[in-house]
Amino acid sequence: MSSVPALTIEDVARLDGVLEAFLNKTEAEMTVVIDRGGNVISQFGQMDSTDVTVIAALAAGSFGATRELARRIGEMEFNALYHQGNGSHIFMNSVDEDTIMITVFGSRTTVGLVRFYSSSAAQRVAEILESLRQKKPPKLAVAPVSTGPVFATR
Amino acid sequence: MSIINYASREIQFKIVYYGPALCGKTTNLQYIHQRINAQNRGELISLATSADRTLFFDFLPLNAVVIKGFVTKFQLYTVPGQVIYNATRQLVLRSVDGVVFVADSQWEKMEENVESFKNLADNLAAQNMSIDEVPLVLEYNKRDLPNVAPVTYLEYVLNNRKKRLQSFEVISSTGQNVFATLNAVSQILLHKFSNQDEVPQTVPQPRVAIPVEAPTAQPQPIDAEV
Repeated sequence: MSSVPALTIEDVARLDGVLEAFLNKTEAEMTVVIDRGGNVISQFGQMDSTDVTVIAALAAGSFGATRELARRIGEMEFNALYHQGNGSHIFMNSVDEDTIMITVFGSRTTVGLVRFYSSSAAQRVAEILESLRQKKPPKLAVAPVSTGPVFATR
Repeated sequence: MSIINYASREIQFKIVYYGPALCGKTTNLQYIHQRINAQNRGELISLATSADRTLFFDFLPLNAVVIKGFVTKFQLYTVPGQVIYNATRQLVLRSVDGVVFVADSQWEKMEENVESFKNLADNLAAQNMSIDEVPLVLEYNKRDLPNVAPVTYLEYVLNNRKKRLQSFEVISSTGQNVFATLNAVSQILLHKFSNQDEVPQTVPQPRVAIPVEAPTAQPQPIDAEV
């Protein structure tokens, strides 16, 4: 299994279709598909992109950390995690061995509903990602990179 | 591994600051966070103990426009340096695109530097990455302290491989060469990404030249394999 190096507009549209349907069914607020290194593969719903980046990094860490916990009780990993807040909650489930799906939801829905629909959504996402891994990546259509310093101080 | 999204016109890279405990990895990220324009950075997240020791990782997302038409997102992580947290280091290294190895220049930290460098090589190998292939720069930190080893010694101990790495004399607490280090690793990974074998001459060179002569005192490396 390898991560997904490139997503075309069509690839993202396919993933978005699955995620949008999932959000409509569950009335969750946002869902993000990430790799286990913390990179965002796809997202749907409303949230500031910087926050999504941070959530992805923390969720990947959280998921990885609990893998060790799972091993202590004879499991390979926990295939789902739930963090319960007062008003907002996070549900995370494994998509495949390289990918995780994160769902943020509030009081309009329940963890049971999110859990129920996340299983089939994750399966469809896994199928799409597997098809992406099988196909030849598109030739990178980008201009040459800058040769100057990437970052500058204020 | 970098992820290219043609729909959102984004490319993501992951850079990890690696090194022994208390070598200044978190201080690097704190300085970058302080000094970079607010619109180009996100929040600095530190998962630390009550004694400010990194427990899990620090995380700082940065945006840059280095590839025309794409927002390039650099995600900066540190690892916990303490020996017992190796599982966490393996986790943070997952899908890494570039590494800054932060060495503590003090004489008494040399063995920890070497151990940490070997640990980095082992952990990269565990995810089928070679330390000779991953974009990597060396940072010799704490150059302002009185009991530091000469750069020639650090080079002999840590940069004694077939492929010489760029190295920088850094004082992370004041920010000296912190951005030079970050820019160097960013350039190397960008050029690897764009399938260019060599970093062009126009890329700023490190302010501290890599010494080529053998150290006069002929110190023995702590581990000859490093």
